[in-house]
Amino acid sequence: MNSDGLPTAPLVGPDKPSLARYVVAALACAGTAAIALPLREHLDVANVVMLFLLTVLLVALRAGRGPAVLSAVLCVLLFDFLFVPPRFSFAVADVQYVITLGVMLAVALITAQLATRLHRQAALAARGEREMRSLYELARALAGAVSVEQVAAIALHFVEQAGGHSAALLLPDAGDALVVTNAGDAKETHVDTRLATLSYRKGELIAVKALDDDAGHAVSYVPLKAPMRVRGVLAVVAPRSGASQDAVGGLLTTFASLVGIAVERLHYVDVANEAQMAMNSERLRTSILSALSHDVRTPLTAIVGLADSLTLRKPPLPDDSRQAAEDIRDQAARLSGMVTNLLDMARLAAGRTQPRKEWQVLEEIAGAALQLLGRALANHRVTIDLPADLPLIEFDAVLIERVFCNLIENAAKYSPDGSTIKVEASVDDGFVHVRVVDEGPGFPAGREEAVFAPFVRGQLESSIAGAGLGLAISRSIVEAHGGTIRAINRPGGGAEVSFTLPLGSPPMIAEEPDHEPWVATRG
Amino acid sequence: MADRLPCVVVVEDDKQIRRFVRSTLESEGCQVFEADAARRGLVEAATRKPDLVVLDLGLPDIDGLDFIRDLRSWSEVPIIVLSARSTEADKVTALDAGADDYLEKPFGVGELVARVRALLRRHARGADGSAQVAFGGVTVDLSRRSVLRDGEPVHLTALEYRLLSQLLANAGKVLTHRHLLREVWGPSFVESNHYVRIYVARLRQKLEADPAQPRHILTETGVGYRFQP
Repeated sequence: MNSDGLPTAPLVGPDKPSLARYVVAALACAGTAAIALPLREHLDVANVVMLFLLTVLLVALRAGRGPAVLSAVLCVLLFDFLFVPPRFSFAVADVQYVITLGVMLAVALITAQLATRLHRQAALAARGEREMRSLYELARALAGAVSVEQVAAIALHFVEQAGGHSAALLLPDAGDALVVTNAGDAKETHVDTRLATLSYRKGELIAVKALDDDAGHAVSYVPLKAPMRVRGVLAVVAPRSGASQDAVGGLLTTFASLVGIAVERLHYVDVANEAQMAMNSERLRTSILSALSHDVRTPLTAIVGLADSLTLRKPPLPDDSRQAAEDIRDQAARLSGMVTNLLDMARLAAGRTQPRKEWQVLEEIAGAALQLLGRALANHRVTIDLPADLPLIEFDAVLIERVFCNLIENAAKYSPDGSTIKVEASVDDGFVHVRVVDEGPGFPAGREEAVFAPFVRGQLESSIAGAGLGLAISRSIVEAHGGTIRAINRPGGGAEVSFTLPLGSPPMIAEEPDHEPWVATRG
Repeated sequence: MADRLPCVVVVEDDKQIRRFVRSTLESEGCQVFEADAARRGLVEAATRKPDLVVLDLGLPDIDGLDFIRDLRSWSEVPIIVLSARSTEADKVTALDAGADDYLEKPFGVGELVARVRALLRRHARGADGSAQVAFGGVTVDLSRRSVLRDGEPVHLTALEYRLLSQLLANAGKVLTHRHLLREVWGPSFVESNHYVRIYVARLRQKLEADPAQPRHILTETGVGYRFQP
C-alpha cells in the first residue's frame, strides 16, 4: 500500500489496519451493546440505533476502513440480536425492522467510508505539509552549506530522515567521471556507478527494482538537475524489497534538484574563488617582477652611465683605467640583459604574456633587431634576404624582435669574426619560414634539441658569455605565436636556427589614386 | 642658443644617475638644474625656462605621466623620458602624453648625448623653419615639395610625401603609430597601424640606401618611428 512519495513510512494510520484495530473495533461494538443493554427499558429503539451508528463513526475515524466495516456489520448484528424482537435471535418479527436494519447497515457502511476518506485526506494534507516543511528545511540547510561534503551530508541526512532510506551522492570529478562523494549508510556495493553515469548523462531518473538474488535492494538514481546542467546523481537505496521503488516520486525529484542547485552554487563559488586567487597571485607576480625590474635596473643604470662617462673623460684616463671602465660598463650592461632575460622568461613561463599581434612587415623587424644589436655585430657581416613579395604577417613585433636579436646575437657569438650571418625567409605551406644561418662550428651533434631548454648552452663550459636563456625565450615566443623553432647543422657547415610563423590573411590596403606625384620637376 | 648655454632640468630620484646625467650634459655644454622629485621638477621647469627636460618616469611623489601632462599644459619644452619600465605600452603612453623621446635604462653616454643633441637642435630650430632638409644623399625642399635623391627626382605619392614631411618636421623625436596615422591619414585610421608600416617600407625603398637596414627612418619597435638626419 505504500504508494506515494518518500516520507510514507511514518504514515501507517488507516491504511495498515492491524489485528489490534479489528479487536478494538469489535470491543467498541460490544461495549456499546453493554452500555445500551441496561438502558433498553428507557431508550427508544431509534436512539439505540443512533448509539451504534456513533460507534461505527468513531471506529471509522480512529481505526480505519476495515475495522469500520467490521464494526458496521457487528453493530447491525448486535442490534438485531439484542434489541430487535424476538430478542436473542437473529430472526426479525416485524418487517419494519428489516428496513431499520438495512438502513442501519447502509448508513454504517457509508459513514465508515466517509470517515475513512476524511481521515485519509487529513493525513494527505498533513503529509503534504510535512513534505513542504522537509523541503523547506532542506533548502535552508543547503543554503548554508559551504562545501560539497556538507551538501552531501545534508542530502543524506534528509533522505534518511524522510524515508528511512539510505542514499549516496555521486558527483563528477575533474574528468567528468562520477565518484561517490558521500555514501552514508548506503554501502557502495548497492550503487552501480555505470547506472548512475547513465542517469547523469541522460538526465533521467533510473529506478532499479529489487532483485530476489540481490539481497532485496531497490535503488533509484536521481539526476541532480540544476539550471545550467546536471550536477551529479543521488542514489537512493530502499532498505527492504518491501519498500518498492515507487517511493521515488515528485518529492525525490524536487529534492534532488535542490541538491543540484546547491552543488551548482558551490561550483560557481569555486570558480569565482579560483579566478580571484589567480588574479591575486598574478597581481603579486607582476608587482614583484616590476619591482625587481626597477630596483635592479636603477643601480645598473648608474653603473653603466658612470663607467661610460669615465671612458669618455677629458683628458682621457690612462689606458688601463679606461679599459677597466669599459669592462665595468660592458659587464653591467650584460648583467642588465640577463635580468631582462630572466624577467621575460618568468613572464613567458607563467604563460601570462599574450602576444600583442599586429600586421607587420617582417623586414622592418629584422632590421630593427640589427639596429638594436649594433656594437655586438661589429665584427660580422649580416645580410637580410627576404622575398620581395612577402605578405604582412601577424605577430607581436617586440617579441619577434627579441627572437631575431637572440638568434643573430647567438650566431655572432658562436661564429668566427669576419664571417657572414644570413637572415633568410621563404613561404611554404601556410607558414613563413625564417632562417638565421652562420658560418660557425654548429651545434654539438645530438644536442640540437637540448639547446632550447633554459640554461643550456651549445658548448658546455664554454667561455662565451650568455645565461643560456636566449633560445628558450625564443622558443616560448615562437610557440606563443603558433609557430615552431628548430636548430640544425647545415650539411655544408655552420648552424641554422629556423622558426615559422603562420601566414593568416592580411588586411586589405586601400591604395591611394596616385595622380599627384611630388616630383622635383614640379614648379 | 648662441648667446646662452642651453638649459636642462633633470628630474630623477636616484642620486648616482642624476650625477652621471649631469656630468654628461655639462660636458655637452649645457647648464643643468636638478630635481629629485616631480613637484620640485615642475617648479624648476617653471622658473628656469629650460630648453630640455630629462624625466625619470618612476618618481616618488607624482606619476611621471601626470608630470608630463602638467608640464605640457603650459610648456612646449622637449621632454626625454628615462624609463625602467620595459613594456612598449608604457612608452607609447608617455609619448602620447607629450614626451618627445625615451631612453630605456640602462643607457650609455653616447645614446643620451645623441638624443639630447637631436632634441636641442630641433628646439632651437623651431623658429628658423628652413625649407631644405638633406640626409644621406636625399634633399627635400619643403617649399617646393620636391624630393631629390643623388640629384635625381624621386616620385612620391601624396601620402608618402605627407608621411615624410611629418617625420622631417619632428626630426629626432619618436612618433607613435597613432600620431602618424592621425596626422597623415586622418582620425578615422587610428586603428590601422599596418598602413604606417607599409608606407614607411615604401619610403625606405625609395630613399634609403639599404631598406632592410635603414639609417634615417628608424623603427622603434612596438612604439613608432624616428627620423634621424
